[in-house]
Amino acid sequence: MDEKKITGKNNVILCIVSVVILVLLLFPLFWTLITSFKTEKEIFMIPPTWYPHELNTKSYAAQIENGDFNMFKSFFNSFVISTGAMLIAVVLAVPASYAIARYKFVGRKAMLLGFLVTQMLPVSVLLTPMFIMFRNMKIYNTWWAPVLADATIGIPFSVLILKNYFASIPKALEEAAYIDGCTRMMAFMKILVPVAKPGVIVCAIFSFLYAWGDLAYGMTFILDQEKRPITAGIFNFMGQYGTKWSYLTAFAIVAIIPVTLIFIFMQNYIISGMTNGAVKG
Amino acid sequence: MKKVKEFFRYENAGLLFILPAFLYMLIFVGYPILSNLVLSFQDVSVKNLVHGKKHFVGFANYLQIFGDEVFRKAMGNTLKFTIYCLIFQFLIGFLLALLFNKNFTFAKTVRGLTMIPWMMPMTVTALMFKFMFSTDVGIINYILKCLHLIQNNVEWLTTPRTAMIAVVAANVWIGIPFNTILLATGLTTIPQELYESASVDGANSWQQLIKITLPLLRPTIESVLVLGFIYTFKVYDLVYVMTEGGPVNSTHLLSTYSYKLSFDLFQYSKGSTVANVLFLILFLVGLLYLKITMQGEED
Repeated sequence: MDEKKITGKNNVILCIVSVVILVLLLFPLFWTLITSFKTEKEIFMIPPTWYPHELNTKSYAAQIENGDFNMFKSFFNSFVISTGAMLIAVVLAVPASYAIARYKFVGRKAMLLGFLVTQMLPVSVLLTPMFIMFRNMKIYNTWWAPVLADATIGIPFSVLILKNYFASIPKALEEAAYIDGCTRMMAFMKILVPVAKPGVIVCAIFSFLYAWGDLAYGMTFILDQEKRPITAGIFNFMGQYGTKWSYLTAFAIVAIIPVTLIFIFMQNYIISGMTNGAVKG
Repeated sequence: MKKVKEFFRYENAGLLFILPAFLYMLIFVGYPILSNLVLSFQDVSVKNLVHGKKHFVGFANYLQIFGDEVFRKAMGNTLKFTIYCLIFQFLIGFLLALLFNKNFTFAKTVRGLTMIPWMMPMTVTALMFKFMFSTDVGIINYILKCLHLIQNNVEWLTTPRTAMIAVVAANVWIGIPFNTILLATGLTTIPQELYESASVDGANSWQQLIKITLPLLRPTIESVLVLGFIYTFKVYDLVYVMTEGGPVNSTHLLSTYSYKLSFDLFQYSKGSTVANVLFLILFLVGLLYLKITMQGEED
């Protein structure tokens, strides 16, 4: 963005063009939101209405009432699973990325490669072996299974992103701490992690979002609907009530509440995560 | 003991920091990869999945799936799906990146907001597109009718030919932000002076794009395409939720077919075999990606 600032008529044209593109791109979300507030009858009207003529909030109310349409429980499950996976990923990835950025230990390159390769793994490769493993560990059909599995997505991503943050911290900072009598561990915890905090936040966000979006693990490793995450709940509901679009769209909106909140408050972290994570690898 | 302490003294102290994460990945990713490989050479069904003897059958599973019509179909679909997605998401992403690289008032804000689709849970995206592509209530049919492009409602998701279009459209929607942001970042690294001296020399914008932007952006374009290939080739949830591979296997990808074999038909070994083929292809492409990125990553 180092080009000269555009002003006058060109600026107005570009602004209008960009807003039109944005509206087109985000139309699916707008349409889902609008539909979730319509009655089933209105959804089937031709021509379609562009805003709910009769406001229907039943699809949302039903989600916290008892019965088939209750999604609140699944939402809570998703929250627990994603938070768990995020914690594991951050706790393990922060020291690991520091090691890669700062030390030339035995096997460093091989491990770095290992983290890179796991990012490219298709879930299908891991599903059956993990399924067998979790059954043997007696954690099949508990939250633990998707938590442990989801963390394997967050860890490599976080390591690869954070190593760039740690590498950009001047070595002098660390050396000063040693001179003042800090051990390696103290210097790491008290000096380096606080400086790398923006990077740690990026990792936490992405690890959470990856887990939040997961369907395969949650659906395969948990059998009971009451313990399953919201994505599996939605998928299940789609199978049972395929055309109840007023409920389905309302579920979709509820499922993206955390995503939206994270986006609103942490947009800059997300963009930095997307660019650092992928380009530098 | 003293020797151990000595070993971890200097550079190898890093091992202490990395080992927890590394062991975790070894247990929960490394071991499953190996165990999946073993599974593909065994005959495993519901009966002997957790307990019981698993017989080795050599390459029988591989021979079987290569003779399997659905597998070959899924392989073709996966390639088709990936290539269509790559073309559209790259072209649109590139145009958007060029747009957002201009310094107008809304550039940053709008660029940020276009990232939203990328963050959506795939299940939700699948639901939204399934709704928009549905036959009677679908907004897409309505719009196409208004534009007089179609006479009658198209049964997008229940016709083999059109179901693929619908899943590609949904995946392109997810992929655009990814392409836009990476290409836009790449564009910012091109020195502005190059364009200035080019326009002094009388080069028009098209010539500048061909002679300056594209050649200098080549490393970014390469990694965007290879990464895009990897991410698209293994897409699973999106297609599984939208079509479950149907109608008549017309949207089955290697990933969805593998899932179906393992967890719907309980033919775990065949499912693992399909997954292994998928993995092998990704691995080869992954090597290409490493070759591209590792060049500047020697430290």
